[in-house]
Amino acid sequence: MVEEKKPNKQDVIETEISMGTVHPTALEPYRVRLFVEDEIVKEAEITIGVNHRGIERIMEGLPVEKANSLTEKVCGICSNAHIWNSVLVAEKGLGIEIPQRANYIRIIMEELERLHSHFLYLAHGSEVLGHETFSMRAFYIRETVMELLRMIGGNRVQYGASIIGGVRPRCELNEMRIQKIAEGMDDVEKGITKFADRFVLDPIVMSRIEGIGVIPQKQAIKLEVTGPTLRATGVNQDLRMKMKEYEPFDFDVITQDDGDVKSNLLMRVLEIPESIKIIRQAIKNLPSGSVVDRSWEMFDCNTIKSYIEVPRGTLYHSYAIEDGRVRNSVIRTPSMTNIGAMQYACIGDHITDAQLCIVQCDPCFTCTDRAMKIINL
Amino acid sequence: MSLKSFSRARAIHLMLVYTGGCNGCDIEVVNCVLSPKFDAEQYKVFLTWNPREADVLVVTGPVTKFNEEPLKKIYEAIPEPKAVVAAGACALIGGVYKNIHGDIPSEEIMGPVENIIPVDVKVPGCAVRPQDLLSGVVTALPKLLNAD
Repeated sequence: MVEEKKPNKQDVIETEISMGTVHPTALEPYRVRLFVEDEIVKEAEITIGVNHRGIERIMEGLPVEKANSLTEKVCGICSNAHIWNSVLVAEKGLGIEIPQRANYIRIIMEELERLHSHFLYLAHGSEVLGHETFSMRAFYIRETVMELLRMIGGNRVQYGASIIGGVRPRCELNEMRIQKIAEGMDDVEKGITKFADRFVLDPIVMSRIEGIGVIPQKQAIKLEVTGPTLRATGVNQDLRMKMKEYEPFDFDVITQDDGDVKSNLLMRVLEIPESIKIIRQAIKNLPSGSVVDRSWEMFDCNTIKSYIEVPRGTLYHSYAIEDGRVRNSVIRTPSMTNIGAMQYACIGDHITDAQLCIVQCDPCFTCTDRAMKIINL
Repeated sequence: MSLKSFSRARAIHLMLVYTGGCNGCDIEVVNCVLSPKFDAEQYKVFLTWNPREADVLVVTGPVTKFNEEPLKKIYEAIPEPKAVVAAGACALIGGVYKNIHGDIPSEEIMGPVENIIPVDVKVPGCAVRPQDLLSGVVTALPKLLNAD
């Protein structure tokens, strides 16, 4: 187990290297300030807020159905997770039971999204690592998943699968689509096995990522880190285990011990076969029946909360319903809590590794930019 | 064709600027250039992150308030001749974040991109498809190559 890392807050650190808000290595605009001594990062500070679009304000007062499809535009990577959770909030409040078949299709969409998010992470991570071949390879495997998502949802990024009471009829899975998903899963499995073999056996890559950007387990729990980043520090916590949507499926929770960049990358590599496992179970046992049940009624409810596990951690949505319209909408994305981990991961590492330490926590600052303040971090 | 244009035609450099969209277009653009499936690099189109190297500026996202100044600076840093491609519904009309192409002033969204810098090619879609982006970039090329 790694000892606790602490930033030295008493001394004044004179050298500051700041990046951002628009910077070549960072795809998304954010500002990071690295306080260094002899090229060793002593403290890091990440500032967001450049991307604030006020989507919760736009949602305020919209009809629930419209607001649900708007939540998809929060993030272009985990778009299905947002619409799914937003719909779950309404279903929880209005007491709607959805058909089993719809639930299975939602799970298939979510797991496909987890696959593409993890592949994107591997591609982005390899690119920051400086290994473009691995990056290209991950992008290549990801393309199979994107094609499947396009086939089911009709669009490569924003699929809009879930609606209140089920899924959209266009997302119905017929025999041909099920066959294509099964074939796609075989391709992805083959691809990830080859990728993992080369990745783990590559001594240059391993020497670059081993033992840097360590997040100790104690601090990960203290910072309330969620998702794969937390599991990479050895905590066995996955919200999917507690969700009733995932009850019919059998899968394992992957954990890694060290909490460094290597554990984080391997974490995603090992989670991909688990997602494939879930998708295979879902298409094998797909129940028959309709995919949407529109016999629900709208009434007013107080604030309803819903937590789900998305590719990057725990997602929280809550709103109240008044006259069929959304009130007091709050969205909290997983990167919000993982920012603390990103700052801690940089401490004690070489400045050239700092970007890698930030990327290892799977940041998505775009969806995180909301008027929210974390006090006593 | 001058020597400059001759050499430029063999290495078009794209620069992607991201001004606060949802990440969807952004990844599709990177995907379009880097991923082996679309692979714009085989058509001698390269992705760069340095404005002084770039020929084509690809802008995604509605321009948020804090991104307005950086976008202007980046546009000015690109040497002539240059072309701007606005990609995605947000860059074209402000997307869902602005009052869909309305002119009611907004404190948060300064976009669409047209309001801030001149746009040559508009590529629609939410999110843009990589194929569309490729044809959009190709449409912008005559402006660059016939410049001198």
